Amino acid sequence: MKLAGLKSVDNAHDDSVWAATWVPATADRAALLLTGSLDETVRLWGSDELSCVATNAGHCLGVVSVAAHPSGVIAASASLDSFVRVFDVDHNNTIATLEAPPSEVWQMQFDPKGTTLAVAGGGSASVKLWDTAEWKLIASLSIPRPEGPKPSDKNANKKFVLSVAWSPDGKRLACGSMDGTISVFDVQRAKFLHHLEGHFMPVRSLVYSPLDPRVLFSASDDGHVHMYDAEGKSLINALSGHSSWVLSVDASPDGVAIATGSSDRTVKLWDLKMRAAMQTLNNHADQVWAVAFRPPGGPGVRAGRLASVSDDKSISLYDYS
Amino acid sequence: MACVYIPVQNSEEEVRVVLDQLPRDASDILDILKAEQAPLDLWLVIAREYFKQGKIEQFRQILEEGSSPEIDEYYADVRYERIAILNALGAYYSYLGKIETKQREKEEHFIMATQYYNKASRIDMHEPSTWVGKGQLLLAKGDVEQASAAFKIVLDGDRDNVSALLGQACVQFSRGRYSDSLELYKRSLQVYPQCPGAVRLGIGLCRYKLGQYEKAKQAFQRVLQLDPENVEALVALGILDLHNNDAVDIRRGMEKMQSAFEIYPYSAMSLNYLANHFFFTGQHFLVEQLTETALAVTNHGPTKSHSYYNLARSYHSKGDYEKAGLYYMASVKEINKPQEFVLPYYGLGQVQLKLGDFKSSLSNFEKVLEVYPENCETLKALGHIYIQLGQTDVAQEFIKKATKTDPRDAQAFLDLGELLISTDAGAALEAFRTARSLLEKGREEVPIELLNNIGILQFEKGDFKLAEQTFVEALGDGIWRTLIDGTAQPYPIDASLSIHQYKDMQVFHRLEEDGFTVEVPWNKISILFNLARLFEQSHNIEKASILHRLILFKYPDYVDAYLRLAAIAKARNNVQMSIELIADALKVDDKCPDALLMLGDLELKNDDWVKAKDTFKAAKDASNAKDSYATLCLGNWNYYAAVRSEKRAPKLEATHLEKAKELYTKVLMDHNSNIYAANGAGVVSAEKGQFDVSRDLFTAVQEAASGSVFDQFPDVWINVAHVEFARGNFPLAVKTLVAHPYLQYQNCLKKFYNSTDSQVLLYLARTHYEAEQWQDCKKTLLRAIHLAPSNYTLKFDAGVAMQKFSASTLQKQKRTVDEVRSTVSELKNAVRMFSQLSAASNLHFHGFDEKKIETHVNYCKHLLEAAKVHCEAAEREEQQNKQRIELARQVSLAEEARRKAEEQRKFQMERRKQEDELKQVMQQEEHLERMKVRVITVTARNNGRVPLLPVSGRIGPNLTMRRVGRVKRGGKRGKREERGIRAQSHVMRQTKQKPTLWMIKKKWRMKTPT
Repeated sequence: MKLAGLKSVDNAHDDSVWAATWVPATADRAALLLTGSLDETVRLWGSDELSCVATNAGHCLGVVSVAAHPSGVIAASASLDSFVRVFDVDHNNTIATLEAPPSEVWQMQFDPKGTTLAVAGGGSASVKLWDTAEWKLIASLSIPRPEGPKPSDKNANKKFVLSVAWSPDGKRLACGSMDGTISVFDVQRAKFLHHLEGHFMPVRSLVYSPLDPRVLFSASDDGHVHMYDAEGKSLINALSGHSSWVLSVDASPDGVAIATGSSDRTVKLWDLKMRAAMQTLNNHADQVWAVAFRPPGGPGVRAGRLASVSDDKSISLYDYS
Repeated sequence: MACVYIPVQNSEEEVRVVLDQLPRDASDILDILKAEQAPLDLWLVIAREYFKQGKIEQFRQILEEGSSPEIDEYYADVRYERIAILNALGAYYSYLGKIETKQREKEEHFIMATQYYNKASRIDMHEPSTWVGKGQLLLAKGDVEQASAAFKIVLDGDRDNVSALLGQACVQFSRGRYSDSLELYKRSLQVYPQCPGAVRLGIGLCRYKLGQYEKAKQAFQRVLQLDPENVEALVALGILDLHNNDAVDIRRGMEKMQSAFEIYPYSAMSLNYLANHFFFTGQHFLVEQLTETALAVTNHGPTKSHSYYNLARSYHSKGDYEKAGLYYMASVKEINKPQEFVLPYYGLGQVQLKLGDFKSSLSNFEKVLEVYPENCETLKALGHIYIQLGQTDVAQEFIKKATKTDPRDAQAFLDLGELLISTDAGAALEAFRTARSLLEKGREEVPIELLNNIGILQFEKGDFKLAEQTFVEALGDGIWRTLIDGTAQPYPIDASLSIHQYKDMQVFHRLEEDGFTVEVPWNKISILFNLARLFEQSHNIEKASILHRLILFKYPDYVDAYLRLAAIAKARNNVQMSIELIADALKVDDKCPDALLMLGDLELKNDDWVKAKDTFKAAKDASNAKDSYATLCLGNWNYYAAVRSEKRAPKLEATHLEKAKELYTKVLMDHNSNIYAANGAGVVSAEKGQFDVSRDLFTAVQEAASGSVFDQFPDVWINVAHVEFARGNFPLAVKTLVAHPYLQYQNCLKKFYNSTDSQVLLYLARTHYEAEQWQDCKKTLLRAIHLAPSNYTLKFDAGVAMQKFSASTLQKQKRTVDEVRSTVSELKNAVRMFSQLSAASNLHFHGFDEKKIETHVNYCKHLLEAAKVHCEAAEREEQQNKQRIELARQVSLAEEARRKAEEQRKFQMERRKQEDELKQVMQQEEHLERMKVRVITVTARNNGRVPLLPVSGRIGPNLTMRRVGRVKRGGKRGKREERGIRAQSHVMRQTKQKPTLWMIKKKWRMKTPT
């Protein structure tokens, strides 16, 4: 397995690029890369040329998260002002604006079927679930507060929720917190199942293995990526190698590799069999906020692609083979 | 049968004396000689005969009688014979003097000899044999130059005088001019071919000295043919054989030595050689016996020196350094100049080095070096002595020289490397590498210590890949291979138990169950530890952890491994684990200062102030006086204690600061280059407002810290920036000065924190705020929020920044509609930010005063209303502007149309004019005049109708707008400014509140095993 640089665009945004995801291909067009930036815009990029297809304004303060519906038709973007804007990918029509004060908005993800949008609710210590047909808040999955005689102010905001991930079967939802704990929920019963421990610093990114719905990868500020059996509550493996925070993790569609982006300005590709970093890429001059593998599918697109975005305003595209 | 005849006086008869049957009592003969007044040459013959028979007493008796005054008187005319007798006596006493061992007797003999020769000279100044005798006497006395002069006198008279030739040869030999000596020996052999073997011995020795060993051998063999019992020749041949250095020759040489020994058991030379031989065969008893005999029989300095040397060497090799030293000393005493025989100096030096007498050892090795300036072993020995004496520079010189003289001496390179480690790591590495490749070339085993040192140096240089290779090579095969390669399957651990990750030993038990042998040889622990440290440094934390655990699995007392695991856990914020690991370390050694210090640090992190202080104190008591880290920690503790509480108690603060300063100063007194203490002192000065002092300190620290991989010290960068900031904190200077700390913060963020430190971003934002760069300030804060989402103070500050921005825009004299619009949206954002905060405060997320937020919200809302009016006004103005522009556009369009029409008209007119002109030519003059008048009036009328732009229209709406703005602002000014200040002071407190970046971090030292 190997990553080979294809294209880089400097100054892809006017400021730091903080979020990236792929919008799946539709019948009419190929998959697009969706990026969000501190410059308050969301942009769409055609692959493999990385030509800017559209620039969507409409956010105040930086765009912290983007999510694409599995159909590829709609997408959501969220900014620091805690508004979620749902829009039509091809026409940029606003479909809905979501907010659930006082809950903030951090990472978001559509469930694999596309019926629900999960939003990490920051200080509310909960994940908000939005129905994608009516755009109504259907559930709020709260992390149980730690038991104790008097939950002090200091501990309270440690369960600040930063990241979410759906299991590939859509039955489980995991969320990562500032204190490093990962909480696993049973979505159908809207029930908290258990914590996964091992990190003690913020978990900013989570992803399930596309092959095994039990396996969950977590990226943390402690510089490690953990591989959990999310059902069996066990830590299968810990991957170390980044010299600073691991900001983003994504699993390759074939399930044999993961990619990570870090504050150490590198992107690493990990072989899960060898449990070691196979490659370290130094395309970026500043921290890499997001890495994303392109989902398979679409007309004539079989080749694997990985995109990375960084504080240095640039985006990079790699061939994954 | 040889006999002499003594003529009987006054008769023809003679007394027949059979030389073989000389009477025992010489007086009998003497009586005859005297009575018959026998010729003096007969006296000599008889005396010589006695001498030959070994009857020395009789020999002397006759000669003494023969040189008595009566004889002188009686034989006054027989000069030659008298001289001969005197010379014979002179020669006899010279010989006695030569072989006498006691100094006093020796001198007495020489005096006697001198007297006889002088007497002979008085008889005849020019007698050559007297001069030869004198020359030999002088030789025996060691006065080579005068001896030479004496022989020269003879040779000037008779260039073939054999005795003089031999004497001169002897002189040249002792002068070391062997070829001259050889020539003289050869001459004497030509002149007198029958001369005794001793001459050929001389030739042999000359050739030997000249390095012509084959010819020397031939000469010695010839001597042996002539005199099979010549011990000197035997010994010389033996030595020649021995020098050949192969087994057969050595055996032959030893046989010769042995036969020489049998012929004459008291030849010191052969004894020495035999002793030498037995030294190498290890028969120390024989060595001692032989040398002792040799010492007893000889008085020859160099030979004795050899004998003592042999004895000393024997004791030396037996490890009896005291005795060896004594004998070396004795040997050295027999030597006039080290050039003659340098080995005992070397041995003495070695023994003294062993016994710790560096000064004497030094002087001995220096003597050796005088003789052999390029001797590698000596250079190394000197190097070692200088190391022991603490003069590393000199030591380095010597060892460097040693490596230059023998570039294949691995040991010298090893020594050099070790010397250079502390001063010049690069050169040390180079030396170690050379040593390693030399050892490898020589097929010798490379010691793992050497590989370890190479690894450490590569590590410190930052060549992690190379260092890893080196360490792995040093480790060789073992269970660690499996662990590092990751070929062992990981065993999942319960995630709820994963807190024990760094204490887990299960993996090793399972490996053992799976048939692996989990063993760690004791000499590889350090290398394993170093490799683990390397993995830590290159962020391979998991591998590092498993190696540390492997060490602990086998050696549960290895405190450093616990501490490293604790440090790893601490870096990952696993405080509980870290504390447990330190507790394990303290179980092994409850006085381990490092463990206590780390524990104190963790307790601080847990906010256990009182506990931390006690722990630091315990650490200070446990550590020795040299280690000032504990003092430093206590200093830090005091500093934190001073600035910790938000409600400042000035009195307490002052005491703590004073205490902190005292402690830092104490550390600096002990170690004036301790950058952490200097930094601490700087912080305290800054806290007291002595910014110039602190700036100097910080800059010095910054310069000092820009060294190795391990000395990164970002905090001081922050501190420099803080000081710059604080110094620039005067209204006028703000704008120019903030740029500097801004750059400092920016550099620091990029250089050290991978831009991940939201606190530094906050500092950056603060400088932007001071410089009234609101947008930059906001952007910076947004970045900080993105990094630290749960830090609500950042949100508050972002709100304040946006509020400030809006207020300042509204305050401006001139602004565009876009500006006003962005102000409005920014205000909306600020309101949203603040209301989010106030909503969050209901959930008790942060410690903000709800009322304070409320005031901000209200003020923003108020601004928003004001802005709306502004916005409307601005929009109105824009509308008017648009209208105006539209109007102007229409006007210009109309004019354009007019102009075009006119042109058209002009053109037509022109044409018409031309037509008319054509007509004019043909028409009458009156016609022409009328036409002209008409054309002129038309143009004049057109000119008068050019329209003016409605400039006056602009003034009206502009004036009204301004008035509106002014009235509104005037009413609220006081209140707004007050809020502005409050917001500002809040930001400032946020900055000051957290002094975490002024923290001093511990640098972990690596264990360098020796």
